[in-house]
Amino acid sequence: MSETAKIILVLFQLLTLASALLVTFSPNILYASISLLFAFLGVAIMFLYAGADFLAGVQVVVYIGGVTILVLFAIMLTSWMYQVKLRDSRGKLIVPLLLALFGLLPFLYQGAQHLASRVLRTVPPDFQTFAYSPKTNAVGEALLGNYLLPFEGITVLLLGALVGAVWLARPK
Amino acid sequence: MDTASFAHSLQGWTGGGPLWVWAALSAFLIIYLIALPFGGFATYVERKLAADFQDRIGPNRVGPYGLLQFIADAVKMISKEDFIPAGADRFLYNLAPLMVVVGACAAFAVLPLSRYLMGADVNIGIFYVLSISTLVAPGILLGSWSSNNKWSLLGGLRGAAQIVSYEIPVALSILPVVMISGTLQIGSIVEQQGWAPGAENAAAYHFWNVFHNPFCFVASILLFIGGLAETNRIPFDLPEAESELVSGFNTEFSGMRFGLYALGEFAEIFVMSAMITALYLGGWHIPFLNLESLFIKLPTGLMAIIQLGMFSIKTLSLVFVVMWLRWTLPRLRVDQLMGMCWKGLVPLALVNLFGTAVWMWVFNGRSLAQLIFGVAGH
Amino acid sequence: MSFLDWATGLHGYLFVGTILATLGIIAVVYRRNSIGVLLGIELLLNAASINFIAFSKFRTAAIDGQIFALFIIIIAAAEAAVALAIILRLYRLRETIDAGEANLMRN
Repeated sequence: MSETAKIILVLFQLLTLASALLVTFSPNILYASISLLFAFLGVAIMFLYAGADFLAGVQVVVYIGGVTILVLFAIMLTSWMYQVKLRDSRGKLIVPLLLALFGLLPFLYQGAQHLASRVLRTVPPDFQTFAYSPKTNAVGEALLGNYLLPFEGITVLLLGALVGAVWLARPK
Repeated sequence: MDTASFAHSLQGWTGGGPLWVWAALSAFLIIYLIALPFGGFATYVERKLAADFQDRIGPNRVGPYGLLQFIADAVKMISKEDFIPAGADRFLYNLAPLMVVVGACAAFAVLPLSRYLMGADVNIGIFYVLSISTLVAPGILLGSWSSNNKWSLLGGLRGAAQIVSYEIPVALSILPVVMISGTLQIGSIVEQQGWAPGAENAAAYHFWNVFHNPFCFVASILLFIGGLAETNRIPFDLPEAESELVSGFNTEFSGMRFGLYALGEFAEIFVMSAMITALYLGGWHIPFLNLESLFIKLPTGLMAIIQLGMFSIKTLSLVFVVMWLRWTLPRLRVDQLMGMCWKGLVPLALVNLFGTAVWMWVFNGRSLAQLIFGVAGH
Repeated sequence: MSFLDWATGLHGYLFVGTILATLGIIAVVYRRNSIGVLLGIELLLNAASINFIAFSKFRTAAIDGQIFALFIIIIAAAEAAVALAIILRLYRLRETIDAGEANLMRN
């Protein structure tokens, strides 16, 4: 990877972290869900850099095109239309929680360092070809090969979720 | 495939320089040479066509035949007062039109204008287009909410629901092509449609995907209908239905912010037509003629221009059909819209998918054209 | 090792994943609005898939990590749909989406 590519990845990691902070601490629930959208986008770029191009596409389609829209719908159906205020009031805890989080950062840094150094001791032989090769074919073959049973299970789960959600949200 | 990304070829021609500069420059070129002129000119053509359909004259004051009308419109939009309604959420009000434009224009990066002229031929090509255009739905929803107007909000809710629902038949109508081509890469999907009688290596090429089999023909029509709904065009323009919702989600937007919404809509129409062209109508290929295997060897630049012209003719004809429909069909009701999607298009798209799979299995992956001309399967 | 190498390697991915998980847990316990709780759960699931992807790239050079991340994304989508249906139901019954008010089972 070139230096420029690395800088872009770091920028998107920073975007992810900043958006995640807003998701947790923004008093306005609508702003929290918009920042969740940007956190999803940042994670998708991280997937792209980790050689998971198909996964990045899935992440954007499912999360930004599906989950975020659903959340926005839920917020608008429960808050704005009936003039309930959007505030999520528990303001006094924000500062201590933020301080605690930043106090933890050095330990997280140490932990990531330690774990990575233990794991990275042996780098797999075909690492370079794996990191920069398209994955769509491999994912498809794995889904219809080794992972066929979980795949079928997921389809049943999705059907159940679909029916359950429709039944739960039925009119009275 | 010997397509290289735009940025790489620019770097090659000029002999060096950092790649990211060329990448930024090519993005700039794509947006300012394709998206913006198309968006501007499309407004003129749409008004002229509307006038023709209604037996009027249409814009005729600025320049010959009113050709410079769109420049006058742009100047008007830029010089208008930058108005933000009272009670609007200023941050989201500014953000929303940008999200729509980014979602629509980012897809231009992978449009296969010609074999030698693509922004980038990424591995997950079609999937990239599908995923990046989902940014449009949050843009519409947020814009409608932030302008603090109930007509806007109703329009935005309708728009988001419509876009999310019609993603499913659109994706299901793209899958047959993926199944036939065995790849998501747009460049190689187009490449495989360049069949001509007597061409060498005929087994690897089938004719246009519309005529690959009957199911693909239906799927291409479904893709067009779904695309119309995703771009909020008549007869699916419920989000901005003038007779019920003033102007829907963009009621409160004026000046260049409204201009961004309009540009985003036209860019989406262009992307949708270009995608149908690339996936089903053979992209840059001239029917029954393979430019690369002619008896005389054409220079690469000339071939690129011919292919670009072919691609533009196909795409712009589809855009013309979209504008034609606007003055032909009445608007649907909300329940009709959703019923059509979930009870009509989705089952039909699933049937197409299954039918294409069966066809591939029975005829060993050969297209109708290959069957007629007796090409051995691959 | 420079900062860029650190951040774009396994360490960086793990670091981002851990922070996301922490923030997700904080949101789950701290938010009163049940939609906010849902947002926290989404952050947690994203952190998990970041870790799967990171280890599949930097450790094994196999596709299994990506398959697991794919399953996580699908399950997250199903979970979000059902959770939002429940929230809408709660709103219809109690006129509020405050997670503390959903205490019908307590008495």
